Formats: sequence, C-alpha cells, structure tokens
Amino acid sequence: MALKRTALLGGAMAALVGLAGCGGGTGSSSSGGNGGNGGKQVSSIKLVAAEYSADHTKAFWDQFAKTYKQKYGIDLNVQIISWDDIAQQSTTMVQNNNAPDILNINYYSSYAKDNLLYSADDVLPSSVQSDLLDSFKISGTFNDKLYGFPDLSSARALFYNKTLFQRAGISAPPTNWNDFEADAKKITALGGGVVGYAEPLGPEEAQAEFSIWTFNNGGTWQDDSGHWTINSDRNVQTLQFLKKLAVTDKVTQNNPGKTNRTDGAFPLFENNKAGMIVGFGPLSAQLDKDKKVNYGIAPMPYQNVSGPQTYGVTDYLDAFKKPGNQQAVKDFYELYYQPDQVNTWIKSEGFLPVTKSGLQVFSSDAALKVYIDTLPNIHLTPNQDPTWDKVLLAVQQQIGAAVAPNGDPKKVLDTLQQTAQAGG
Amino acid sequence: MPANAPRRKPGRRGRLPFWTALLWLSPALVLIAGVVAYPVVELVKASLGTYSITGLRTGSAGLGNFAKVLHHPDLGTVLRNTAEWVVLVVAITIVLSLGLAQFLSKQFFGRRVVRWAIIVPWAASLVITARLFTLLFDFYHGLIDRVLVALHVLPHPVDFLGDDHWTMPSMIVVGVFVSLPFTCYVLLAGLAAIPDDVYEAARIDGARPWQLYRQVTLPLLRPALLVASVLNIIYVFNSFPIVYTLNDRNPGFRHDTSITFMYKLAFKSAEHSVGMSAAAGVFNVLGILVVVLAYLKLVSWREAVR
Amino acid sequence: MTAVASRPVTSERRPEPAVNRPAGWRRARRFVLPLGGLLVALAFLAPYLVMVLDALRPSSDVLDSPPTLLPRHWQLGTFGTVLGQDSFRNWLKTSLLVAGSSTAIVLVASVPAAYITARFRFPGRSAFLLLVLITQMFSPTSLVVGIYREFFEANLVNSYFAIILTNAAFNLAFAVWILHGFFTGIPQDVEEAAELDGCSRVGTLWRVMLPLTRPGLVTAVIFTFIAAWNEYVVALTLMVDDAKKPLTVGINSYVTGYSQHWDQLFAASIIAIVPVVILFAAIEKYLVGGLTAGSVK
Repeated sequence: MALKRTALLGGAMAALVGLAGCGGGTGSSSSGGNGGNGGKQVSSIKLVAAEYSADHTKAFWDQFAKTYKQKYGIDLNVQIISWDDIAQQSTTMVQNNNAPDILNINYYSSYAKDNLLYSADDVLPSSVQSDLLDSFKISGTFNDKLYGFPDLSSARALFYNKTLFQRAGISAPPTNWNDFEADAKKITALGGGVVGYAEPLGPEEAQAEFSIWTFNNGGTWQDDSGHWTINSDRNVQTLQFLKKLAVTDKVTQNNPGKTNRTDGAFPLFENNKAGMIVGFGPLSAQLDKDKKVNYGIAPMPYQNVSGPQTYGVTDYLDAFKKPGNQQAVKDFYELYYQPDQVNTWIKSEGFLPVTKSGLQVFSSDAALKVYIDTLPNIHLTPNQDPTWDKVLLAVQQQIGAAVAPNGDPKKVLDTLQQTAQAGG
Repeated sequence: MPANAPRRKPGRRGRLPFWTALLWLSPALVLIAGVVAYPVVELVKASLGTYSITGLRTGSAGLGNFAKVLHHPDLGTVLRNTAEWVVLVVAITIVLSLGLAQFLSKQFFGRRVVRWAIIVPWAASLVITARLFTLLFDFYHGLIDRVLVALHVLPHPVDFLGDDHWTMPSMIVVGVFVSLPFTCYVLLAGLAAIPDDVYEAARIDGARPWQLYRQVTLPLLRPALLVASVLNIIYVFNSFPIVYTLNDRNPGFRHDTSITFMYKLAFKSAEHSVGMSAAAGVFNVLGILVVVLAYLKLVSWREAVR
Repeated sequence: MTAVASRPVTSERRPEPAVNRPAGWRRARRFVLPLGGLLVALAFLAPYLVMVLDALRPSSDVLDSPPTLLPRHWQLGTFGTVLGQDSFRNWLKTSLLVAGSSTAIVLVASVPAAYITARFRFPGRSAFLLLVLITQMFSPTSLVVGIYREFFEANLVNSYFAIILTNAAFNLAFAVWILHGFFTGIPQDVEEAAELDGCSRVGTLWRVMLPLTRPGLVTAVIFTFIAAWNEYVVALTLMVDDAKKPLTVGINSYVTGYSQHWDQLFAASIIAIVPVVILFAAIEKYLVGGLTAGSVK
C-alpha cells in the first residue's frame, strides 16, 4: 500500500519534471523582450560590457546610455560584468538564446562562424569603416567580412626600473636578447629579493607574454595563408629562451609558469622588486598614481627581425543579429565611434585608440609615444580564426608547464600545434 | 488518556490522508519542483547536446559527452584530488571540532567572545576567504611564509600555491578552516544534549577522563557526528570557491576537484564544451548521491533518525 | 531521551559534570582555559585581522614583498570611502533584502513540511524526506545554467524575486531536516493535551509546537541567512543592474585585471561580515540546542 502511494508520488514528480522539460523547448523563440517580427523595430537594446575598472567603465556606459536615448529614443540597458566572469555569462546567455544585442568581449570569430553576428556592411557606418586602423580591420575580418569591431586597444612594451638599472650599472634598456639576459643577471645579482625580469606565464594572459617575445624573434602564430605555425623553430627558440631565463639563469621570479600578472608579476614591479616587465597602459596609470617606482618604457628587445615589434590586444563590440534591432545597433556604433565618445573613454581607462582620427588625438601625448608610433604596424593574435578561440584556452592552460624545471618547450608547442590543426 | 489507548510510535500521532499531507507540503514542494527540479532537467538536457564554443546548441550528442568525460586524460587526477580533498577535510575538521567543542562546552571567562570569534570564518563568504588566503599563501607577498620562516618552522619560503606538493595541503588548510565553525557548533549541541546523570554514573564507577570520553561521550555524540559528517561531505564535495581561487594561477587540471573540473570544462579549458561540462555535472550529482547514501547505510541512518 | 530535546538546551545553564580530575587542575583551569580561549579566538580571527589591516593601508602596499603585518603607511579613510559609495550601499541593501526574504520564505515552507513529516505518517513520507536529502546535494554551480533559463522564460531575470526564490529553494532541505528532527523530539502528550483543549492542527502547531522548537528555528534561520548572504554564482548570473547585485558579486569590481583597489575590496569584505555576526550574536544562545535535534532521541 505504502509502496503504491510512493509510486504515485514519484509519478507526480516525474510528470512535473516532464512538464518542465516541455516548457524549456518552446521558450527559445522570444529573445528577452526585443519584440518584433520582421520589420518591427525594437524599443530597447541590451549591452553587456566587460568591466575594465570600477572607476570608469560603469560611469562611461551610463552616460553613453543617456546620450544614446536622447539622440535615438531607444533605451540602452547596460549590464557590466567583470572580465573573470564574462565568458561564462555570455556562454550562458547564448546557450539560452538570450544573447545581448551588443557584447563587449575579447573574441568574435566563433560567434561569426555560428552566424550570430552582423557584419560591418549591416551595422557599421562607412565613415567609421574607413576610420578604423587597418591592422584592426584585418584582424577583425572573418570570411572576408568585418565582424570584429574594436572598442579599444592596448599595446605592450618593456617597462624597466630606472633606480635598479642605475644600481646595477646599466645605462640604457637592452635592445637585443643577449643584452637583455645580461642585464637581468646584473639586476638579480643586486640581491635583496630583487629579480631581473618578472615573467608571467600563468593562465591569465600567458598568450600575451609568449606573443610579444616571439613576435620579436620573428615567430608567428599563423603564416600569411592562415596555417598554424605554433611549433615553428622560432617559436620553440623563444620558449626555450623564456625557460632559460627561469631555470638556468634564474633571473625571473619564482615559478613563472604559475604566475599571473595582476597578483604576481605586476606587484613585484610596482614595489621595486623587479628590474623589467612587459607592461601596458593601465600599469603606467597605476605606477603614476602610486609614485613608488621610477620607471621608463622602452621598445622590446629583438633578434632576427629588423626592429622592435609591438604586440597589441583589442577587445570587440560584437553585434548580435536579433529581430528588429539592426537600426538600433547601427545607431549604437554611430554614436560609439564619435571621437568625443570613444576617445574620451579610451583616455580615461588608459588605453589606446582604434581609429585613425583617434591616433591624431593621442599622438600629442608624449608618454604614449612609444605605443602610438608602432600602433599602425601592430601584431595581433589570430582572432579572425575561430579555432584561435579554443587554441587560446589551450595555450593558457599548457604553456606555463614549458618553463618549469622539467618542462619541454618543444613538446608543449607540438601539442598545441596538434590541437590547433585538429580544429581546437 | 484512556487506559487502553493503542501504543503508537514515539512522537508520531497517526495517519494522514495523502491529499492533506500534500497541502502541508505544498509550499516546500512548489519551491523544490519549481526551482530545483527544472534546472536539473536542463542539466540533463545539456549533457545530451553538442554545443559550439559560443554556447549555441548545434545538435544532439547522445551519450557522447559522457564518453568524452570518462576518457578525459585528467579524469584520474581529478578523481584522486576529489577523494583526497573530501576525506582529509572532513576527517580533520571532525577531529579538530571534537576537541574544540569539548573545550567550548566548559565554563570559563570569556567563553562567549570565543564563541563569537569562531563564527567569523563561517560568516565571511567563501570567495573572500579564498582570495584572502591566496594572498596569505603567496610566495612573495604572503604573510604565512614570512611568519613561518621567522619562527624557524621553515628553513626558507615555500611556494604554497605553486609547488605541486604543497597545493593540496594548502587547499585542505583553508577547507578545514571554513568548515570548523559550523561543525564545532553541531558537536557542541550534541555535547549539550548528553544528560548529566550519565557522567555521574560513570564517575561513581570510577571512570577516568579518557575512558569517559571514549566510552560515554563519543557514543552519545554519534547522532551529532552523523549530522556533521554528512553535511560536511556534501558541502566540501560541492565547494567551488576555495579550490578554484587557490588554483587561479595554476594551469591545467592538476589540483582540480570534480566541481572545478566541471566548471573549467565549460569555460576555461581548450574543450570549452558546455555539453561535456553538463555531463560532468551529472556524474558529480550521481557521485555525491552514491557517496552519501553509502555512508548513511554504513552508519545505519534509519536507526538514528526516525 | 525525548525529555532532553524538548527544552532549549544550552551549555550555559548546565552545571559542569563532575569528573575525576586531579585537584591542582581545578585551580589552574581558571587561567588556562581563558588563555586557551584567547588562542582559539585568535586562530580563527587571524586571517580577518590581516584583512582589516590590509584595508587600512594603500592598495599598492597590500601586495608588497616582503609583507608586513602592520601597515608601513596607514590609510585610515577606506572604510569611510566604501561606506560612502552609492554602489556599495546598494549592494548592502540588496544582500539584506535577499538574505532576509529567503530566510523568511524558508521558514514558511519548511515548518509545515517538517511538522507533518515528523508527527504523522502518510504515504510518500519517506519519498519526501529522501527528496529533501537529495536536494541538499545539488550544487548551484552545476545548475546555474538551468536556473538562468527558467527565470529567463518567466521573464524574471534581474528581479529580486528570482534570487530570493532560488536561495530559499536550495536551503529548504537543511531547514526541513533540522526542524524535522526537532519536531520528532517533542513528546506526544504535549500535542495531545493541545488537542484535548480543542486546538486545530494548525493551532497546535502555531501555539504549542513552534515555541518548543525555537532552537531549531534559530538554527534554520542562521544557516539560511548565511548561505543566502554569501551566495555568489546564481546572483552573478541573474542580476543585471549594478544596484541589484548583492555584496558577493558587487565587491568583485574593486579588483580587476586593469585596476586594483585591494584596500577597498577588503574594507568592503569586512563590512560584509558585520551583519552576519550581529545576527549571530543576537540569537546565539538558542543555537546550541538546535543543531542535533535531528538525531537526538
């Protein structure tokens, strides 16, 4: 008797669960309040933006939303998510067919491949298209269409500690790898917990650290026809050099393969405990604010290439196709790329411009000269290849192991090459 | 009461019709069915699909995701880590809590304040405590190394988070630290419920303190120990922030437990597969279910709870 | 043994059981025990004291090496700064609202369920208790995608209602379990006496049984409040507006890859602990009796 009743209860639960299952399938058509079949226009669009800083990001977008509403009469709902969580959140949204109208994130080609995005022809005013810097346009082009619209850019350069250089008797920052190694040794010899070079190859941005070194050795991620060259000789040489710095010369901080920038490498440099580091705009901003370090910025040391190469990063404002939002999205970009909008924001966050007109505005800033001069010829990672989105993750998870005492640079790069060739 | 009233089970009155019971249970059932059951169904559905890296569902995978998880090269490491993590944290927490609870059950000046102090690791969010310990354990700016070297406990600084030998012990220290407060209170309550006469009788029989503890206190604490251990097993197994944050700088899956493994499969690893992650999630739930039910069977749950 | 569980049991009221101990101990313990207590308290508070000290120094000094316990340069205004931020105050309000409401809902749902399963037999009783145990085992981390979906379908994303319901649902199991044990421990006569006086089932519950289960209720309140107060993943996924984020999600803003305010992060974290400690201090004396009523017979 009790058994029968239990079965009945169990059956009721199963029915409830089944009903829940039904509900899940049909809900996919409505995309979160954006109304409209066919020609009907939306009255609001949603922006999911990554949080660069607590001080500026929210302030900028809130103000932008007000201006946008005034100008076009459409509501702009802004959701700010920290960089740590945005990948997870955006995947969840897409999984539930509730992608935002505009997503600020560091990749685009996978979305383009899944046919989720508008291309430049659909939503980017032609004046903006011609104003974008060429290197970014090339990087943002997938299948001959421009999908990756850059929001801002940053470039990396060699930061060095002038005080430590003076104490170690180094007169100028190194321009080639041999000098770099020698200088790092001199600084480490100063003792007192000081390291010559802070090398972050932990999962946070390992690809950036590796990229800038290998670009300055003539290495590449892909060749011009889009074939992967991850385990090229130059790349292996670069990784072996980074391992040498860590394991043989011992001029880096402890355990570079497990050090991130934010809570590992940067704090060392910010407290005068590292002689050199690869840094970027926000690091300068922080150093200028704290006034603890007498630092200089120099081009990267290079070998096997004609001059110092710059590595740059850009994030994107991806435009998602949703019924009725095309005009609203187009208006968004029209407003965003107005010089007083985009450049003001870039300046407040401490980044670099993405447009030719922006270049003009920023070139007057002497502190940014190192970056601005090289910006038009900047090297980027192959963001236009959807496979890169997976290779990036593999690089972050695997490359640190190569600089451990028992690490094998060639093997790590071979594995990554295989992953890339298998399509990620 | 009529003298010939039928004997009933202690504490329970009588039978209720099914529908009356349902009425009383309905708020709870609605919450559970509505908020917990639906996502469980979604989890199962997700585990049966293939997804693009963007999260877009591209089709059905049948049981492919489950197979991929089972064939993942790091699965063995993850399972070993999980077992180590759960067993050690729970065991150490319980042993330390027994001592702490015993201590706190005694009257002494300032006991109230000590009881409040113990609550703080529980009151603070796991995310914050984990972040704090990541700072404390750091090789360069961490206080723990500095203090231990100054006290000559360590000859030179140890890379607690980066050195593969020390990562799991560091995780366990934090895990125990945040589990101690509520475990201690569970055992404290258990101690408080033991009547005095039992101790009196034993004392009259001439029992010494250690004998008393082993033969009187511990057996009577059994129900409390049961509650504490089951809750701990569940919470520690499902604990995400500590393992994830302390391993933030470590590549790969070397020190991940099944929960962080599941998360990373979806968002941080080269697989970046929502389907695989969901399959791992299903395995996780089944796993903890099996472990807890086995444990309960082992300690004869039905006798202790009526 | 049922008699024991029926009165709120606290260690405060019980005389120390006399055990065979050497005489000298009884004199030494007046000093040794409080000293031990101090050490224990310090052990538990130590990391958080470091956090307080980190909140009182400039952000860039927090990660300085070698580290110092006391700040090299004191910066005392951070707590004030944080409390003065609109965003912080909004997060605090949200946390209070969400944790408080979740706790209330948990009580409303768990009390009848626990009462019924403890005091009566009915078909499906074991199934329900098993269901409750199983619910306890799910980690919101694995279910967050489904949770997002169902609230999105119901158009409730970014609503307080959604996270309050979610927190309530996931903490229900524990509350039912605890209260169930407590209700079971109440002797039958109490209930029968109430019925003889003409109380309905609801009346019996409200006027007679509930007061006797106060420790259990307090336990459920504390557990649920803390769990809801510190919940992260679901709130992160469901709450869109910055003002509607609870503290756990909001304070992540202080440290990003591009700009770090460690001092504010830690000041905010310390402030976040305070409401929980206050709640605990207020109801702590009932807690000890509550936790094992699930198993003491």
